[in-house]
Amino acid sequence: MQIKVENLKYTYSPKTPFEKVALDDISFTINDGDTIGIIGSTGSGKSTLCQHFNALIRISHGKIYVGEWELHAKKLNLGALRQAVGMLFQYPEYQLFADTVKEDVAFGPINFGKSKEDADILARYALELVGLDYDEIKDKSPFELSGGQKRRTAIAGIIASRPEVLVLDEPTAGLDPQGKKEILDLVTELKKSYVKTVIMISHNMDEIAEYCNRVIVLNDSKLLYDTTPRELFSDKEKLSLTGLEVPHAVRVKNLLEARGIVLQGTPLTSKEFVELFKGGAPCAK
Amino acid sequence: MENSTANNVVIKIDNVSYDYRSSSDEFIARGVKNVSLSIGKGEFCVLLGRNGSGKSTLAKLLNGFIVPDSGTITVNGIDTSVDESIYEIRSKVGMVFQNPDNQMVASIIEDDLAFGPENLGIPRDEIEKRITWALETVGMSEHRKRSPNKLSGGQKQRVAIASVLSMLPEILILDESTAMLDPKGRAEVMETAMRLNKEKGMTVILITHYMDEAVGADKVFVLSEGELIGEGTPREIFSNVELVKRAYLELPVASKISLELKESGYDIPFALTDEELAEGICKLK
Repeated sequence: MQIKVENLKYTYSPKTPFEKVALDDISFTINDGDTIGIIGSTGSGKSTLCQHFNALIRISHGKIYVGEWELHAKKLNLGALRQAVGMLFQYPEYQLFADTVKEDVAFGPINFGKSKEDADILARYALELVGLDYDEIKDKSPFELSGGQKRRTAIAGIIASRPEVLVLDEPTAGLDPQGKKEILDLVTELKKSYVKTVIMISHNMDEIAEYCNRVIVLNDSKLLYDTTPRELFSDKEKLSLTGLEVPHAVRVKNLLEARGIVLQGTPLTSKEFVELFKGGAPCAK
Repeated sequence: MENSTANNVVIKIDNVSYDYRSSSDEFIARGVKNVSLSIGKGEFCVLLGRNGSGKSTLAKLLNGFIVPDSGTITVNGIDTSVDESIYEIRSKVGMVFQNPDNQMVASIIEDDLAFGPENLGIPRDEIEKRITWALETVGMSEHRKRSPNKLSGGQKQRVAIASVLSMLPEILILDESTAMLDPKGRAEVMETAMRLNKEKGMTVILITHYMDEAVGADKVFVLSEGELIGEGTPREIFSNVELVKRAYLELPVASKISLELKESGYDIPFALTDEELAEGICKLK
């Protein structure tokens, strides 16, 4: 399902003294199968943009096409759209609410009109997909779980409705290293299921570099770049405009360059760095 | 063995265990088990360990939120389990938590800073002095008369630190205080903590999941399942591959690369930071 954003503009509290342009003339296309990173400093418009994708924010200027849906149309089947575009907010574990894990995860499908039996089957599948043992966990209170388990339960609650597009707003924030890795590996796993497209907001450039095939850079409410992580992080000039950090491997490459050692290519991860280093002997400038 | 006056030990934890129990005294979860450690005056210490490893339990034990089931904790020679000393302990040990929005009690920043000392009955002109000093220390003086709700996450956490400083603590505990912040906010808080430590000689205990926040510490303590399984300089800790694995820690990317290069036959020393790694590579051949 292709997502096409055309000249999107959004202003908070328009025509008041608090008026603030959050998105200014944004256009880009997300293709089926993309894992696309949305990056930019706090307040650059990342979350505002993402909340448009399932019409949590209705469009005031511009157009968004999500597959067959026209989000700018007056009449919109919100239920069907929100089932197709799953949205995971920051710290989703704070939104767990039901008495048991099973009920919490089945809540979405029931809301979208599934029978209780079907919803239970979907909940089971979703919990297993996120790597939780259904029988062990289904009757527990969500509040008994560990941080990583809670977040996976929250993700299960979204994917139980079988969305084709998954929007993740800082999915690894606040987790320990192991929990982070589990969530990111899970995203990779999910892409082998019915989830075709992932849109991910993150402040962690190492994550973006390793997991995303494309990246959108927002800066001061405007779309600054629509490119690949490798191109973005190879281009020091581009980066200096954004105030963004670079992945550690890129940083080491740049430090080496400053010392007169040039690596051919831009390694995005430690693994790539080691391979690049071993492959082509770095040459002195 | 250690003499608390000779070595300037401010915190001494001696064989402390603590379990979480329900009101009917049923065992819920292990907090910490047989932990012994000491922290010297002016040290910058980092506690590492996965979620549930006992880091926060230890922090809560240090300012007398909870008292040990067995063993003793002394802060400046005062036993935390003695009821009469609890206010003294709490004014000596200041804590800042993860969520900046949960720690503000007033709608104007200076009132937030005054809250603690007012409760202790400190005279008004002394409170004024403390507010001025504390806001200056964290670089937030110009916000004194403003509301905290328009601040960025990093600024809010700096105000939270200032509010703790207004109690003139000797020890500052940051319990994942950078976890919810973006890279800029994290850098602000880390810089503030470092400065308090270097310039004011404040003892800082930092709990974090970000390994790069640990590399500059004087000492690192590693917890796993409630037990202290490692203690040493960042270099000693991170170069201990076994320990890192056992505690589910993550190596800094530079360390990872230096180890992998070494394994591939390059004669390169273990690197903690990107800069060290670049230096190490430059010295090859």
